[in-house]
This record gives sequence, structure tokens and C-alpha cells, in this order.
Amino acid sequence: MNPLVYYQTVAVLLLGLGFYALVSRRTLIGMLIGVELMLNGAGLSIVAAAQLTPTDAVLGQLGALLVMGLAAAEATLILAIVLVVSKRFGNADADGPRGLKG
Amino acid sequence: MAHWDYISALGWIAFAFYTLITLVGGGLAVSSRSLVRAMVGLVVSLFGVAGLYLSLLAEFVALMQILIYVGAVSVLIFFAIMLSNASSNGDEARGSGRRGAVRAIPVFLLTILIVVMLVVYRVTGAGVPKNVPVAALGAGLLGPYTLPFELISIVLLVAIVGAVLLAFEKRGTN
Repeated sequence: MNPLVYYQTVAVLLLGLGFYALVSRRTLIGMLIGVELMLNGAGLSIVAAAQLTPTDAVLGQLGALLVMGLAAAEATLILAIVLVVSKRFGNADADGPRGLKG
Repeated sequence: MAHWDYISALGWIAFAFYTLITLVGGGLAVSSRSLVRAMVGLVVSLFGVAGLYLSLLAEFVALMQILIYVGAVSVLIFFAIMLSNASSNGDEARGSGRRGAVRAIPVFLLTILIVVMLVVYRVTGAGVPKNVPVAALGAGLLGPYTLPFELISIVLLVAIVGAVLLAFEKRGTN
């Protein structure tokens, strides 16, 4: 067993925790917290894989930074969506918006 | 040789400590009935992941983790909790109930499957992480990885403009 296995295991556990929050939470914000956990697992996995193998370490670290930027953009958009949903339905429950208008 | 063993043991202790922080925070973030407590758990977990980055000798990524995630993203989520009429006794007060327990089964199976595959197929890696200077990261951003760097700024701009457009939507115009 080398260190890479342990780091990847922690990343997978973060992915599982986030996935569980995504499927079991009732509110949009709880689901967003789950997505952030999953993205953290992804970043940890990328950095561990780049730092502990002969891959270019710069590529791995910049990839993790890219994931962080995407997480920031995603959190911004979900903040706006939560605002709109809570204005229309009174709370940020994920079961509120269930119909499409077209 | 004994000197290296000592340092290696310290490294394992640090790894175990940061892993514990990460997983305990993550568990709190997933299971807490109150969204604010779940957010505090997420922040704890983010600090743990920053410590894991430090133990991988990726100190710039660890600093950015604290700056971007703890400083920006979690504040955004706190704003979302504040602006969405979250009740004081917790939006998740009803709990996930049986639905959550049933949905945990595939998640659990998937996680176990990936961990078993990791162990069985024995990902091979060096025991010691590489250490690249921050100057090399900057040179990478201005050299071979310029296009993703510019694209992420465009994505952020579009996300901000889209968020403002969504949030300023007039109430009865639709």
C-alpha cells in the first residue's frame, strides 16, 4: 500500500458523503453543500494523483485551481437559483419546483 | 535511517489527523438537521482538505483552498441560507427519514466498490510528493495553460452576470 491509495480513498469517501447529501437532502442548499463536498474530493484526487506520480505536477495543481474556479461559479449560480425559488415558493425546498411551463 | 522513519511517522500522524478532520466535518455537513451547522461542518471539512494539500506539498493549492472555498464559497452559501427564509429550527428538521436510508444504499455500494477497486488494482505512486515552486505554476498559467485560464474567467463572468439577471427578475412579469 502506498500513500496514493490512502489519498484516493479519502477522496472517494468525500465523493460518497457528497453524493449521499445530494440524494437525501430536502433543500437546495443542503444539496449544494453535498456538491461542494464532491468537488473537494475531485480536487484532492487530482492533486494527489499529480503529486505522487511522474505526471507534471503543475498540470495537477492548476487543474485543482480550475475545479475551485468552477465551484465558485457554480455556487454563484445556485445562490441566484435559490433566491428565485425561495421568492416564488416561500422556501428553498427541492420538492417545490416540480412543474415546467412551456 | 531512523531519522527518516521518524519523519515518516510524523507524516502519517499528520495525514491521519487531517483525514479525521475532513471526514468528521463531512459527516456533520451531511447529517446535521440545521443548515447552518451543516455549513460549519463543510468549513471544517474544507480546512481538513487544505491540510491534506499541505501534506502533499501543494502549499499554493492549500492557500487557494482556504481563500476561495472558506473565504468565498462558504460565505456565498451562508448568504443563500440567510436569503432563503431558512427557519431557525432548521429546514431539514423533518430529516431525510426512510427515503434517505433507502437512497444511502447505492451510494454506500458505489463507494465500497471504488475503494475495493483502488485496493485491488493497487494504484502505484511514489512515496514522496514532488515540490514545484509557485513560479512554475505562474509560468504554467502564462505558458501552456493560458486557454483554460482565460476560459475560467469567462465562465466566472457569465456566472456572475447570469446570477445578477436571475436575482433581479421582477416578480409578476412572467
